Order: sequence, then structure tokens, then C-alpha cells
Amino acid sequence: MNIELLVNGIEHQVEAAPGNTLFKVLRSLGYYGVKFGAEDGETGADTVLLDGKPINADFYLAAQAEGHKIATIEALGEHPQQGWKQTQGLHPLQQAFVVTGAIQCGYCTPGQILASIELLERNPNPSDAEVRDALSGVLCRCTGYKKPVQAVLRAAAVMRGEDVEPIDGSARPIPAPPGWIPPEGDTGGPADGFDAGFATQTQVMPQIKVTPKTEELQRVGKPEPKVDAIKLVQGKPAFAADLEMRGLLHAKVLHSPHAHALIKSIDASKARTLPGVAAVLTHEDIPRVAYSTAGQSDPIPGPLDCFSLDNKVRFVGDRVAFVAADTPEIAEQALKLIEVEYELLEPILDVRQSMQEGAPVIHDQPDYVHFADSDPSRNLAAEIRIDIGDLDKGFAEADHIFEAEYVVPKVQQAHIEPHVVVTYWDEDDRLVIRTSTQVPFHVRRMIAPILGLPVKRIRVIKPRIGGGFGGKQEMLIEDVAAHLTIATKRPVICEYTREEEFIASRSRHPMRIRMKTGIKSDGTITANEMYALSDTGANGAHALTVTGNTGHKSMALYVGDGEYRESPNIRFYADIVYTNNPPCGAYRGYGVPQGYWPLERHMEKITQELALDPLEFRLKNALRAGELHPFSTAWSEGREPRPETISTCGLEECVQQGKAAIGWDQKHGNEQWRNSLRSTQHAIRNTQHATRTPYSVLRRGIGVALVMQGTAIPYLDMGAASIKLNDDGSFNLLIGATDLGTGSDTVLAQMAAEVLGVLVNDIIVYSSDTDFTPFDVGAYASSTTYISGAAVVDAAEKVAERIKIRAARMLNERLNVETFERSNVKLIDGKAVGVGGEFVTLGDVALNALHHEDQEQIMAVGSYVSPVAPPPFAAQFAEVTVDTETGQVVVDKLVMAVDSGVIVNPITASGQIEGGMAQALGYAVCEEMVYDEKGQAREKDFRDYHIFMAHEMPELETIFVETFEPSHPFGVKAVAEIPLDGVAPAVGNAVLDAVGVNIDANPVTPEKVWRALKDK
Amino acid sequence: MITEYHRPDKLEDALDLLARTNPLTVPLGGGTVLNQPSDQQVAVVDLQALGLNLIEPRGRTLSIGATVTLQALLDASKTPLVLKAAIRHEATYNIRQVATVAGALMAADGRSPFAAAILALAPELTLQPGDEKVSYGELLPLRAEQMPGRLITYVAIPLDVKLAYQYVARSPADLPIVCAAVAKWPSGRTRVVLGGYGESPLLAMDGPNPQGADIAARDAYREAGDQWASAEYRSDVAAKLTRRCIDEFEN
Repeated sequence: MNIELLVNGIEHQVEAAPGNTLFKVLRSLGYYGVKFGAEDGETGADTVLLDGKPINADFYLAAQAEGHKIATIEALGEHPQQGWKQTQGLHPLQQAFVVTGAIQCGYCTPGQILASIELLERNPNPSDAEVRDALSGVLCRCTGYKKPVQAVLRAAAVMRGEDVEPIDGSARPIPAPPGWIPPEGDTGGPADGFDAGFATQTQVMPQIKVTPKTEELQRVGKPEPKVDAIKLVQGKPAFAADLEMRGLLHAKVLHSPHAHALIKSIDASKARTLPGVAAVLTHEDIPRVAYSTAGQSDPIPGPLDCFSLDNKVRFVGDRVAFVAADTPEIAEQALKLIEVEYELLEPILDVRQSMQEGAPVIHDQPDYVHFADSDPSRNLAAEIRIDIGDLDKGFAEADHIFEAEYVVPKVQQAHIEPHVVVTYWDEDDRLVIRTSTQVPFHVRRMIAPILGLPVKRIRVIKPRIGGGFGGKQEMLIEDVAAHLTIATKRPVICEYTREEEFIASRSRHPMRIRMKTGIKSDGTITANEMYALSDTGANGAHALTVTGNTGHKSMALYVGDGEYRESPNIRFYADIVYTNNPPCGAYRGYGVPQGYWPLERHMEKITQELALDPLEFRLKNALRAGELHPFSTAWSEGREPRPETISTCGLEECVQQGKAAIGWDQKHGNEQWRNSLRSTQHAIRNTQHATRTPYSVLRRGIGVALVMQGTAIPYLDMGAASIKLNDDGSFNLLIGATDLGTGSDTVLAQMAAEVLGVLVNDIIVYSSDTDFTPFDVGAYASSTTYISGAAVVDAAEKVAERIKIRAARMLNERLNVETFERSNVKLIDGKAVGVGGEFVTLGDVALNALHHEDQEQIMAVGSYVSPVAPPPFAAQFAEVTVDTETGQVVVDKLVMAVDSGVIVNPITASGQIEGGMAQALGYAVCEEMVYDEKGQAREKDFRDYHIFMAHEMPELETIFVETFEPSHPFGVKAVAEIPLDGVAPAVGNAVLDAVGVNIDANPVTPEKVWRALKDK
Repeated sequence: MITEYHRPDKLEDALDLLARTNPLTVPLGGGTVLNQPSDQQVAVVDLQALGLNLIEPRGRTLSIGATVTLQALLDASKTPLVLKAAIRHEATYNIRQVATVAGALMAADGRSPFAAAILALAPELTLQPGDEKVSYGELLPLRAEQMPGRLITYVAIPLDVKLAYQYVARSPADLPIVCAAVAKWPSGRTRVVLGGYGESPLLAMDGPNPQGADIAARDAYREAGDQWASAEYRSDVAAKLTRRCIDEFEN
């Protein structure tokens, strides 16, 4: 049918099928600012304005939109500098999103901005709650919503004509005075000095206790806007699916309806004859190559137990066949024409049955490739046996032994951009893979043997990533598109639907964990033991390493006190077993949140039983600076362990800052406070959503968890960077590191700018492309700021050295002296400055080097691999309200005080903490993936798999306690993963404080609490 | 799969189209459910040009056009406050812009806060052709059989009735595991509707007074167990939420 659409004031005549969605038509017209998130519009990434109102283009028909005015993000502002052409610049909302750090991956940003535009047009002075309601239709998995809300409030102020305070380099966080403690019950407002004289305060800066070693720095430590913010805020075609290609085919995967079955026969002949179908591939059509989907360094520390297509299916959602067709609809139709005869096999869906005698063998194929202790005949993907000290002696010396079992659920990364990849042959017959991945270099190396291509004939391009959280540390669908491109010679796009994300991607490993802890009466831990039975699902990708980190990062925290501090007694055993559940993989935190739920719930029980102060007990036994990381001599991700001493640990300070911020001393164990609920945020939010709950049935509680993580994998994770000086004194920074929304491109640019003495916008960042950028392992293990950052500094220092040598020579020639040397030239503000203030600009140096004299390209490559993995530490606090009649738990406030070393960018770093806390909040109370007795998923969309929305978030507060990690040039440690670790146990502990019941399996759902209260 | 799209501007034309069985022809409200991928081939009749988007107080009732969006109903001054809360719980801001009242009622499953709250109010639906008045409660279990070829044009709810709504969910904006909506008329008539389970909200009680409402709720959900919650839990909590609703009236 012919449809007339008015988009951004432009009339379009479109020929479309009656069922074509507005999303599909807008994308075909080149409006790439509208993004796919889910078929049902639940993500809001597809938001457009229809007659000024935000609607979801994913399900709205193009035909429905006829006769209405459609606006997309492209209708808003544009880059302020476009050569000779004068532009209006960015819209105030776009500008506010840029400066407040409201953009992380940027995939949902156009939707958030459009929803906000509508709000501000009808309400120029909205409240926080009104902004949150307006944003409720746009899911964001990155930010925790705090900064987007602040961005809208700031833009509203600007649009009302108010002045707003600057958020720029001059707004450096105030160095904390000695003994600085935030006021009791502080609500997380702006740091001192940020609120003077402005009617609207923009509360995006965290509180920071700054280490004195960084006070002289110009770029590091500043809230610089993200280097990719301006393109993302305009909805530019920056993501993998945002391109047009002639002859592009659409790939679809036929997924198994059975949890465990042999494919007795498969007939694709009808599908192949369907008009518009270019190829159908089954296991009979492509080479059988065993591989692992885990995006890890060579050799992959896990079994090779995957095949692009196999004659056996091992979970509901497993691959059966691939189709490429002219349209997604034809491809879907073709899938239905593929006739498959299955021989059903008994499935294993309960992890406890996997290793029982007589259990079905899930991987009985002869070409299974072992790693370490894998034993597929027993459904064992990996085994871990770590003994530190003498556990039996430790237990024998204990006055009390505490034992309990805990359960952690399977949960999803739930990035808003699904897995998506485009493949094509280039003019040199090299296969180009444009993919949303965290690990472009691993993908190139790993996919080569699967396709029968040498590595050198593959180029992997990573555009912007719409969130990953570990889900894209996986070579999940790149092979699907690549096989089909090889089969058809045509470009192919493969993009998962939201349902496919739930049934056929990866998730966090669920585990059953037993704890046994020996304690002396004075609270000294004498021995600590954890056993984890981990469900890796149908494949063993990340099986060993994820579960290894469960013990490595959590069980290392409490070493004991006194003599036990010198020689702790710790055991961590784990069996990681196959089941016929969908495979698990990497998910932000990488096994560590699974360790901290049992550990910190267990510690809390001990404090309750022995009437110990929860914080004193924890700090008494916790690891300290100067001590050996107890696991460093025992385990290192399947590689040789080497001893590692903890150089910096701000944990005690984190506890002090965090407890003051949440008012721990006034609230914990305080019966009067528990029962004194009046007009709290809980009540306000409850009222907004429904009606009042009687206060008499509500109890408040407060809980804590202390956590540590790691920073990269020592002796393994390597990052590299190259820096090149341009004619005007700007620099190209090429990095293999993959910014998946974290802001790593920005903090790496800040480090380069610091060394080179230029503004951050003089650093042009490009990442990642295996043809052009240096190698990097990719974005995982919280490694980028630390590892890739050190590589950038290495490259920058080499470039700076060359610049200084040339600048000294230029100054000597210019002033006809011989006093200038490399060592007395500094790079400051875009200049090479001598001791007396004489200078040449970097532009002068560049022209001299490239054009005038003794020409050379000033350029350098740096790389870095670390011998240590310095842990960040944190204290995480939660405040909850529990309905004692229904068991419903509402989390009212989360506080995280974290030692992540030096904070390179307080806005992006606090954005990481806030977004991480929001994800972890779902792990605490609502997220889980449940399967029926046939292995069918309960959660296939965001209606059932609930992730937190803007209008239901608790208050979030971030405090950075800086230490200076000596192994890094700027003293940094990791930020990104640690917020995932402690929220759930802090919530569980807060529930215990509130109503005196222990919930041992997260999420803490109403029925679990109700049942525990009933059994009390 | 949607094979035909029609946007009539006369009710008669819409009804003519909806009378067809080949292709199966169904009314399209906002499309939040109907437009999602499906194997079923249908023709759709978009109702947006029929003028069914008015909200009008008529005596002691509020007449709501079938294509009134949830947001429009939320914004209307006469809409009961508790019904507004249920609308907020039903859908996010974006979805509320296009989801229509009639569409939401016809597509509702047991977890729909809006359908539960409306059902408690004993709404009267106007169906075409025939200008037939039916109760939502009677239509709900039979909607699949009775609605083909027919169209809801108006929903009428009483304005002199007190409404209370309580729910339990994993998070404040998550769908309810259990919810209770209770309406009380000046005469004392009390209707208790439960939600959070099954294919549609459940009328647990329609009595002359609130007496025994919590017991009725407990009994109504005695078998209401599924993957999300046990029947034991739902039954107990349904009674408690119902009691709270009644207490709200009394306080």
C-alpha cells in the first residue's frame, strides 16, 4: 500500500506492506536515530514523536501514522561547528545530556530525549518525579537513570532562561579536608561549591575524597564530556545495524523447540525454493569445527564444545538451521518450511542431577576438545579445587562453625541493543565483520578456523555498542552471518529479536553454594570454605573462569585476623556442570556477584548469631594493603598463578564514608527507626504507583556488604594504542579497546591529553578495527582504564618525548640559544613550553616535523600488560522497607563508597556505579530466568523479565575514596564491575535487619519473605 | 501477520469490514498487542478516525470512548484517582499514548491492573452493531467467542463509587503478582476483583456490603498457583490486600 508520511516536516511517499511498522519504514528512509529494542516497544529505544507525543515505532504501523506529524531525533539540533555554515547547535536537551554524563552507550538516548521534549513542552518546570514518569517508557540498562533525569531538569532550567552552573574542567570535585565525613543522612546532593547561586542544581557529580597525588593534573580527574556524546545525542548512524548495503540479506536462525534431542533428519528443500530465499544452511552444509564462544585470549581456558550447527540440540533455543532471505519476513517464513525430525533425549534441567550416576551425557560427541579437568562423560565442564592454608586446622581452632546453603539465579545482561552483526566480502575478497562486540580481536582469531579463512582475510569492525555487560564478550552470532555471506556472496545482517536474546544468548551462571565458616568467639575468622555447584548450561564457555572468580574475588576478602591474617585458611571448590538449560557466559561482575551473595549473607548471619558489630567484624577480618592476595598463589583463570601483594586498600575509609552517608549508626538495629516510617520515599513511590500501604505493617531495615573485585587479568590482558601527531597539533589516538558505553574512549583520551598537554577534544579517538587499531583483548575484566590506559600513556609519553626534542631544537633556533633541552620542556595547553615560558605550539611542532625540517611522522605505539590485578574495594549499603503482611520489599536507598583508585572522570565513573547499582538491584529483588519441566523459558520479553525503570528507582549515592595505585601511571583501578557485587546481599541483610528473616536465595521476592516470616 | 489495513471514518463502514470472516478482520486500537509479530493473518480496521475518543461525564457515569488512550483517561479530570494509579501501573508513558481503553480491556490478561480496577467498577460496555449494553465482567471470559464482528464503542463507569487498589510486585513498577481492586457503592454494594494471575482478572465478590470480602478473596485465589507464585501465597495476600482496600474506605 502507498503511505504518505510526514517526518520532521518532510513528506515521504512510501510503498509498504500493511503490517510494516513505523520503525521499519523510518529506518528504510534513513532515520537511524530510531533504534530496535523489542518487538513490543517495551524498551523505548524506538521512541518517536507522533503529533508531539512519544510512541513506540517498533509496533506502531506505518499506516497508522499516516496523517500525523512524526518527529525523530534527527529533527533536533546538530553539531555546532560545521565549517562555514552557521548552525543552531545542539538542542538544550541534547546539550544537557552531553554535559551531565547522561549518555553511556547512547542507544536509548534519542528515545529519552524525545520523551523529554514532549514533557518540557507541556510542563516547562517539571519535578523529578514527573521527569521519571516521562522517561518511564524508555529503558536504560546503563545509567541507573540518575543522570538522564538531571539532564532533563537542567535543560528545563536552561529553556526557562535560568543560568545553570558549569559542569566542566573548572568544576573539579573539592579535595576532601583531613577527616572529611559527609553529614549524617546526607541525601547525596552536590558536593560543596556546586550549588551556590543557581535555582536549579545539577546533581551529577559524586562525592570524592581526592588523593593529593592527582591535584596537579589538568585532564585526569575532570568531568570531561564523553568524546562520542555529540554523535550519540544526535542519533547518528553509529551502531552496527545503522548502515545501508545493496543486496543486503537478512539472516534468521531456526531454534530448537526441545531441550535435548538428536536431529534424525532435516529437510530444507521447501525453504530453499521459497522466493526471496538466498540460502538455507543446516549441519549437513557447513564444516564441523569445534569451538568455544567465549571471547578470551588464546588458548581459550575452556572446552571446545560448540559447533556452528550440529546434529544434536542441547537446549530450547539451540541452533538448528540458518536462513538468509531478502527480507526478515521471508526468512521467518522459510524457517517454518524446514522439516526437522527429532529423536527426543532425556534432558537435565536441574544442576543437581548432572553428575548423578546414569545421567544423560550432554556432550557425547567424539570431537569434544577438553580443557583442564573437563569430563563430558560426567557432564563436567570444569572443576576447581583451591586450598589455601590448612582448613581442617582452622576449623579445629574455631569456637563456632556456621554452615548454610545459598542459591543465586540465572539472570540476563539485557543490553538494549540486541546482538547484531553485518558481514560482507570487500573488494579484496576479505570478509568484513561489522559487529556489536566487546572483543573484536578475539572474534577475528576465533572465527577464522570456523569459516576456513586465515585470520589475515578477516577484518572485524566494532562500531558503537548499545550495551554489552559481558553478553558481547561472546562470539554469538558472527558465524551465522559469515556462513551465509560465504554461501551467498552477499552482505548479510543477523540481528537477534528480543525473544532470541532471552532464549538463545547468554546469561549469568546460576549456582548453588555451600558455605562453612569457623569463627573464634572474638569474631576472628579461622577458616572459610565455599563450594559452588555452577550450571554452565549446554556449553562450557566461561565455565572455569566465571566460577573461578566466584571464589577468587569473594573468598579472598576475609582472610581472618591475627595469625590467620598471615596464613589464612580458605577453600574454594567448584564443579561447573552441563545441563540442558541455555548456556551461561560472561556477565558484568563475572562470577563475583554469585560469590558475594552467599559470602555476605553468611557473614551477616554470623554477626547476628554472635552479636558482633557487622562493620567491625568485617573490617577486623578483611584483607588490607600490604598483604598477599590469598588466591594469587593458587589460581589465575586457568593459567599459572603468581604472588600478588595488595598495594592499596581504601576499604576502611569506604566503610566510614558509606555509613555516614546512609546514617548507619542511627539506623542499624534501631527498633524505633524501623517502625517510624512516615513520609519516606517508599511511601511516595508507592502512592504514585497505586495506593497507600498502612504504615503499621511496614518495617525499615538497613544492610551492608563489603566487596572487592579485580582489575584485569595479570600477565595476560594486553592493550595497545597508537598516537599520531597531526598538522594542527591534534592527535589521532587509535585503540583496540572497545568502549561499550562505559566511557573508556573518553578516559583514555583524557590520559593521552594529560601527557600531551592538550585539550581532550584535541585527541581524536578511533576504536576498534582489527585492520587499523592496535590489538587489545577487549572490554572485559574491568581492564580498559587500567591496561589500555597504561598503553595509551606509554604511547603518549613516547610521542611527548619526540615533541619535546623537536620543540627544544626549534626554541634554540628561534631564540638563537642552546639552552633548551628535552628535559626542560613541558607540554602545557597545546604548547611546548621552556623553563622561562618561551614556547612553540604543538601546531608549530607538527608543521616543522611534517613539512619544514628533518621531516618525520611523530607517532608511537604503546602497549601494556600488568603483573598485578589491583582490586578495587567498596562498602555497599541498602535501606529497605518491608511489608510484613505481603513480604514485598521496596529498596529505598543505595549507597556505594568505593575505592577504585584515582577517578579519571568523575561523571563517567559515577555513571558506571549508578548503572551498576541499578542492574544489581534487579539481581536483588526481581530478575531471574525460570524454566519449566521441558526447559521452556518463562521470560521471553521485558514484560516478564523486569528491569528497573526510571520511575521506580531508589535514591542512589556514590562516594569515591581515592587511593593511588602505584602500578598505574595515574593510579587507577577498576570501576565497572564492582557495583554489581554488593547490592543484593546488602538488600538481603537489610531485610534481615528489618524483619529478622533470612532469605538465602536471591532475588528477594515477596513470597520468599512472606514464607520466611510465616516460618519465623 | 497483518495483511490489510483499513481506516474507515464511519462506524457503519467499520462494522461492515469487521463482519468479514475471510480474511479475519479485527479492530485496531493502539496496536500495542495486535501489531506484534504473529503467525495469524488478519486484516485490521483502525478505529482512529471514528471519533470514539471522547470522555464525557453523563450524570453519575463517565462515558469513555473506545479509542480514548490510557494517557487521555489518566489526564481527564473526572477519572477516579485510584483508577489513575492503576493506569500508571498498567503501562509506561510511551505505551499509554497509544494503548486504548477498549483495546486494553480486550487484550487484558490476569496481570492487568487497569482491567482489574475497571472490572471492580462494574463497567457497562456498548457494543456495535445493535447498540447492545453488556457488562465487562460477563464479556471478559467470552471475549474470544463473542467479539468477532463486533466493536466496543463506549465504556461507562460509575462516578459515585469509591475505588481502592492494592498490589504486590517484585518492584514498584513490575506487574502485580497479586492485586486487589475493590469498589464500594453508596448503597454499600461492594465488588472485589483480584488480579495478578490467570487469563483475566477475577471477580471474587459482588455483595451488598463489604462483609466477608477478604474471605471471598482468599477463597477465590485458593487454586491460583503458577510459576510466579504459589496459590497459598496468592490466597493469603489477596485477602490481606482486600482487607486493606476495605480499610481505606473506612478510614
